[in-house]
Amino acid sequence: MTTIRRFSCNDLLRFASVNLDHLTETFNMSFYMTYLARWPDYFHVADGPGNKVMGYIMGKVEGQGESWHGHVTAVTVAAEYRRQQLAKKLMNLLEEISDKIDKAYFVDLFVRASNTPAIKMYEKLGYVIYRRVLRYYSGEEDGLDMRKALSRDVEKKSIIPLKRPITPDELEYD
Amino acid sequence: MASKFGLAGGIPERRVRPIWDAIDSRQFKNALKHSTSLLAKCPNSPYALALKSLILERMGKSDEALSVCLNAKDLLYKNESLLMDDLTLSTLQIVFQRLDRLDLATGCYEYACSKFPSNLDLMMGLFNCYVREYSFVKQQQTAIKMYKLVGEERFLLWAVCSIQLQVFCGNGGEKLAMLAEGLLKKHVASHSLHEPEALIVYISILEQQARCGDALEILSGKLGSLLIIEVDKLRIQGRLLARSGDYATGADIYEKILELCPDDWECFLHYLGCLLEDGSSWSNGVHNDPINPQKSVDCKVSQLPDEVFHSRISTSLAFVKKLQADTSDDFIRCPYLAILEIERRKQLHGKGNDDDIVEALMLYFLKFGHLASFSSDVEAFLQVLSPDKKTEFLAKLMKTLDSPATVPTKALGQSITIFKIQELTGNLYKLPVLELESCAVQMVKMYCKSLPLSKDLDPQESMHGEELLSMVCNVLVQLFWRTRHLGYFIEAIMVLEFGLTIRRYIWQYKILLLHLYSHLGVISLAYEWYKSLDMKNILMETVSHHILPQMLASPLWGDLNNLLKDYLKFMDDHFRESADLTFLAYRHRNYSKVIEFVQFKERLQRSNQYLVARVETSVLQLKQKADNIEEEEDVLKSLNSGVHFVELSNEIGSKTLTFNEDFHSRPWWTPTTEKNYLLGPFEGLSYCPKENLTKEREENVRRVVEKKSLLPRMIYLSIHSASASLKESVEENGSKSGSKISSELKFLLEHHAKMLGYSLSDAVEVVMGVSSGVKSFEAFGSDEIDWINFAVFLNAWNLNSHEPLQPDRDQCGRGIWHVVDTLLVKYISEKIKSMESLVCSPRVDLPILVQLVTEPLAWHGLVIQSCVRSSLPSGKKKKKGGSMDQHSSLVLNGVRDSIQSLCDILKEVAKWIRGQIDRPEDESVENILSSLRKKEQDEGPGRVFHVLESLIPSINEAEHGGRICQELKTWSALDVARKIVTGDSTLLSQFLNICESKIKSFQALKQQIAPI
Repeated sequence: MTTIRRFSCNDLLRFASVNLDHLTETFNMSFYMTYLARWPDYFHVADGPGNKVMGYIMGKVEGQGESWHGHVTAVTVAAEYRRQQLAKKLMNLLEEISDKIDKAYFVDLFVRASNTPAIKMYEKLGYVIYRRVLRYYSGEEDGLDMRKALSRDVEKKSIIPLKRPITPDELEYD
Repeated sequence: MASKFGLAGGIPERRVRPIWDAIDSRQFKNALKHSTSLLAKCPNSPYALALKSLILERMGKSDEALSVCLNAKDLLYKNESLLMDDLTLSTLQIVFQRLDRLDLATGCYEYACSKFPSNLDLMMGLFNCYVREYSFVKQQQTAIKMYKLVGEERFLLWAVCSIQLQVFCGNGGEKLAMLAEGLLKKHVASHSLHEPEALIVYISILEQQARCGDALEILSGKLGSLLIIEVDKLRIQGRLLARSGDYATGADIYEKILELCPDDWECFLHYLGCLLEDGSSWSNGVHNDPINPQKSVDCKVSQLPDEVFHSRISTSLAFVKKLQADTSDDFIRCPYLAILEIERRKQLHGKGNDDDIVEALMLYFLKFGHLASFSSDVEAFLQVLSPDKKTEFLAKLMKTLDSPATVPTKALGQSITIFKIQELTGNLYKLPVLELESCAVQMVKMYCKSLPLSKDLDPQESMHGEELLSMVCNVLVQLFWRTRHLGYFIEAIMVLEFGLTIRRYIWQYKILLLHLYSHLGVISLAYEWYKSLDMKNILMETVSHHILPQMLASPLWGDLNNLLKDYLKFMDDHFRESADLTFLAYRHRNYSKVIEFVQFKERLQRSNQYLVARVETSVLQLKQKADNIEEEEDVLKSLNSGVHFVELSNEIGSKTLTFNEDFHSRPWWTPTTEKNYLLGPFEGLSYCPKENLTKEREENVRRVVEKKSLLPRMIYLSIHSASASLKESVEENGSKSGSKISSELKFLLEHHAKMLGYSLSDAVEVVMGVSSGVKSFEAFGSDEIDWINFAVFLNAWNLNSHEPLQPDRDQCGRGIWHVVDTLLVKYISEKIKSMESLVCSPRVDLPILVQLVTEPLAWHGLVIQSCVRSSLPSGKKKKKGGSMDQHSSLVLNGVRDSIQSLCDILKEVAKWIRGQIDRPEDESVENILSSLRKKEQDEGPGRVFHVLESLIPSINEAEHGGRICQELKTWSALDVARKIVTGDSTLLSQFLNICESKIKSFQALKQQIAPI
């Protein structure tokens, strides 16, 4: 039961039950508002009956040439609404916007190498591990850069895995 | 900071590059060195000076930075041959902004734009300045100039947004919307529109003028193709149709959306609204209160004739059934819950019956009863059932347990749901104590049984059945409320601590524990759990209500200071940076976000919690320094002697406050910060909904802020009144400043008395009555601290007053020391006596005791310190006459007695605290644990705990998995009991430190005053 709509500032006052989860980061205001100011189409919230926040997704579109891509910055679902494929719906929406509106080549995301449940979920959604980013998380844990090709990347070139891991300073974007 | 032709602000880039690099790497000293040598070469370059001021500001040298910056500005104005380049201006702007002088930055850009009226970069800079100043009219004028200059769509939209801001956030009238529409219309006719956001703004301007028909026409025309995602367009169409009263077409549109998004609940409500010709769902204000939205749509009773109503209901049912048939996805709930909404509407129309709702609920349960969200999905529908029907529904649910689902996780989910429904309907708490206890046992057994289901889960994932322990806690607290048996309370703590041993991330348990420890009086442990929740940034606004009120009345001043400081920093940072983010939205042409950002900033600025935190931060500083009058005076000086706060107190009545706290996660026994059912007797309250108490809260907050913001000024005046009384007695009688202080203090006392519901003379009567024992303490109600504060300030005023307090007695100018002393001593000793040891009952009086000592007693101490300082025969305070006059000696006698009685009562408090701290730890631990040691079949607390404890020996890796086994090995109830005792000692030690510091300060005063 999901009304997915654009995220608005007032939703920041409603998402506590989602963000109290230890894996969901609560960023500073300028982070959220920069996303809202620049990529409002990539920031959506799912409402349930009784106007409860079920979860949300935030992302952006960036890059040049064949690196023009959608990026998932955060996707999270409240405990009460897990195991209902809500994350999948939110991801599909972001992919659709990257594909149809912005004509991006692929969508990517970063995930902690130890977060097996999340990696499995992304794999089910069609993402592949493109490369490993050494000590991406606070200089400690490795991150995995996962990608899914969109219709514009006909030959699926964007998702051919890199053979060697990279370091964070080799990343093209923040 | 790249520039054209290798020049930056008229200086070759290679010369400024080292400065930029040093600033970027925060090597400010180095940057300053480079800047000095650059200035040696270009002493009159505004850009070189601007850079220097930037460095100085970063180094914290604000005054110097401002002076250099002003110098740069003057040079820029004078030297007309130089370029008015944007780089220099933006550098100056940054510095002025950081120095809180936005006006100067704006001035620079205004000047530059007047010199170069067709420079677009400069005009954008000027527009940005106005955005920072929230000068909507000037924004509009500047944007129009830019639009006229280059004819770009974006500048027109900047102007239109600025107009909308005048309507929404300023004083602009409706006519302005017409102006905005006119501008857009003209532009569309000649250039059309190219951005989807521009179209959205155009439509919203028409909607504001209730011109939905015109908006629809535009949407269905060529411009409509700007919205690429079909559903987005349909949603706007549906809304416009409904708002224009064309419900039939609206319903068709919503059907289309539901076919594309069959799980869209909000859309279904709109669809039903259209069919039943009820526009409430478009104007029910849901979005006006984002934190406490209504659980169900506040719909009107349909005015449709019966046969039309029936036919529309049949249409909706048929459509919903079709949706059900068309969707194969097991997770789509909307078409099923829709049946319940339809039944609810029928009932509202007087055509439904409870049986149909119960049947629909059962069907929904059979399909989705295993989901964690089931109970919140149906909460609104349960509310329309009569109590009997609720019971009937529950009985039917229970029956399903005879044939549980085959998949174990599903069966578990269903059982949990049934418990939750029992909780939600209130039926659970109607059970007799013994049955309620058994229910908790059943829940905890189910939890133990479900553990193996989670054996392969990642520790980061939530486990199956986690909610059970929260429910067990709820039941145990209910049992404690009913029986007052502390064992249940301790048991609730143990259950949650046990759950957190198995998986340490469960925030729901942490919040419950935080409140349990708060109520128990061990706020130090509550704060530990709060910290573990890592509540930061915007969560501080929405969730810190869990801990802030308790901390305000605690002796944990360091922690409280951090809490307040972090919160205020977050809010102030946002207020500072919000305008820049708004400009970012302008630049990226996301015009709807522009309005949203400005409105959101205003919402946070009006936050009640922000106001409270500002006042409380000052009060905390005053409390912390109260033992040393000189330090206290420094604090008062930094608070402008409390003048601003008096202004705040006067204005609070007319301020619109916002309430952004999210109360959903609060436990049932304390649904808001103002309520704690456990403090009162058992009310037979079976279900405690988290009522929307905003109205009541608003009044309460206003009252608190109004009273508290008078404190700094009253303390300031009291100190001066006390010293004036002694000075005046040796100088001329009634100096000018003395009488001014006296009249202001009297005015504030009258105000204070009024807030307590009395006139000044009646309030004096009450205080005298309670002090002499004629009236009981109950006369103070729950405002005891305010009353005693009043008595303290009354005494201070009376010292320097020539008016008698009570008409029949002459107490002019001597104070009413004994009255204040008696009140403090009586009240404090009463509180000490009432508090048993922690292991007997929660220490609910501890916060009051802490407040008594750290507020009225501390303020009274300041009055004493002021008297002593003024009477000391040394330095400036040296008396002219040398010998003590009668007035002074009477006052000083009062002071001496006061010091003695305050010292004595503080020693009593310290003695009580030591008694608690020095109790053998093992004994206290044993007492806590003994309340739980019961066999399962016994009545009373301990049965649930027994189930958990007996689980431990049966745990094995094969069944429960290695991780759970490993975690459970670390479980120890003894450790938890010890943690409670240690936490209690930590808290009391802090309080003891406060008391001892006060005792020391009073003893020093006693010595100082002895020779006089």
